[in-house]
Amino acid sequence: MSFKQTVANAYERLFVQTWTPLMGAIMIAFLCVLLEAWYRPWGIVGGLRNWADWFFYGIGLYEDAPPHPLYFSSSVLNIGFIWGAFIAACLAKQFAIRVPPFLEFIKAVVSGILMGIGSALAMGCNIGGFFVAIQNLAASGFLMMIGLIIGVRLGLIYLFWEIEHLPAGGGFEIGFQKICPYLGVLALIGLIVATYAYFGSDIDNGEILGGCLIITAGIGFAMHRSRLCIVNGFREPFMSGMAEMGKAVAIGIILGAIGVSILKYQEIRPEMMYVTPTFGIGALLGGFIFGLGMVVAGGCGSGSLWRVAEGQLKLWVVAIVFGLSNSFVRHLFSEYDVIENGYLGKAVYLPDYLGYGGTLFFIIFIMLLWYLIIDWNEETNKFVMEI
Amino acid sequence: MADLKDIKADEVLDCKGLSCPMPLLKTKKAIQKLKSGQILEVLGTDPGTKTDLPAWCEKAGHEFLGVIEEAGYNRYFIKKG
Repeated sequence: MSFKQTVANAYERLFVQTWTPLMGAIMIAFLCVLLEAWYRPWGIVGGLRNWADWFFYGIGLYEDAPPHPLYFSSSVLNIGFIWGAFIAACLAKQFAIRVPPFLEFIKAVVSGILMGIGSALAMGCNIGGFFVAIQNLAASGFLMMIGLIIGVRLGLIYLFWEIEHLPAGGGFEIGFQKICPYLGVLALIGLIVATYAYFGSDIDNGEILGGCLIITAGIGFAMHRSRLCIVNGFREPFMSGMAEMGKAVAIGIILGAIGVSILKYQEIRPEMMYVTPTFGIGALLGGFIFGLGMVVAGGCGSGSLWRVAEGQLKLWVVAIVFGLSNSFVRHLFSEYDVIENGYLGKAVYLPDYLGYGGTLFFIIFIMLLWYLIIDWNEETNKFVMEI
Repeated sequence: MADLKDIKADEVLDCKGLSCPMPLLKTKKAIQKLKSGQILEVLGTDPGTKTDLPAWCEKAGHEFLGVIEEAGYNRYFIKKG
């Protein structure tokens, strides 16, 4: 085999073929820990809210100007994430404007509103409220998980009803297959230039933001390559019985939790980082509403954004409405001091009750239990809902 | 494998423009109406379908015959098991 052929094969494996979910989950857990070691935990909804805050500020609804999107870490995380996913989609020749049937746009608006409300209650979407919350040893992540599972089941009941009663077809795609790889290379060069620009800039936290940008671009890249989808992980055990994605998510949480435990135990990061006062109705109800929304949307916080980068117009609507809805509900919360009054719940840091060792045993136990249940279900179809 | 282009599907399902999970869900529903051995053709644009459908077919006991890439969409062929 010629060397050229070897290079071509490597390109195909890394940039064109879909990675296994497990490969994606391991990469993402690794990058989540790196990001937290660099500066802060990963999140999605904070950045979306920042952009939506600007909209409401622009139309005069909010009084105070929000932070500048380019100098605000939550926003930079999303820019990096979408950028990385866009590079991945282009290099794989999978970027195309995909226009769904009209019904999907209505579902996008409704699900976006639900996801905004849910993520306001849980103070995070499925990433900040569940995936990264458990990695940060917050008890609220488990409550959100329970809410998510119940919400996903209800969402599926709706989807089953919909395909019986509301047949829809007639979507189409506008492709750019020929120029995709060039777009991808251009975007990659742009990303490197932007990262250097942050590191070399005069703004106070320029280096911090540059690191955030490039690390989340890695997360976006890995997530698109593996099509890692937390909705899929929760939904498929009930829909098709397939468990591969759910099992990968469970492993990703365990690996991330081990990494973050080290950062927190060594006091490299504050213990209460990402431990939100939502252990109570906030995480549970928020998870339920978010879970319902994400099934109808076909993408969670992160899954919606990498599909945005892939050109799925439905998810563009989801992401925009999701951000606006979250911003508005959080604005109402601050008017009435909902979070400060503890209405959403308590901040519960698991090591305060179980110690670090006990917390890790607990997280591993729950995740392995989930892993085994969905693995068993894959063989037996015990929990698969019939259409 | 017989040439995919010569296959005449018993049922065609349009999932163009739809994203996950709708193509798989609609496929699951559509295949219920077919008899064993009949062929379902699914039209789709979501890149995820390329890995989802074969994996699901294997699990559900259907035969995934293959995919033809047309301009702007893919055609997937499934033989009901």
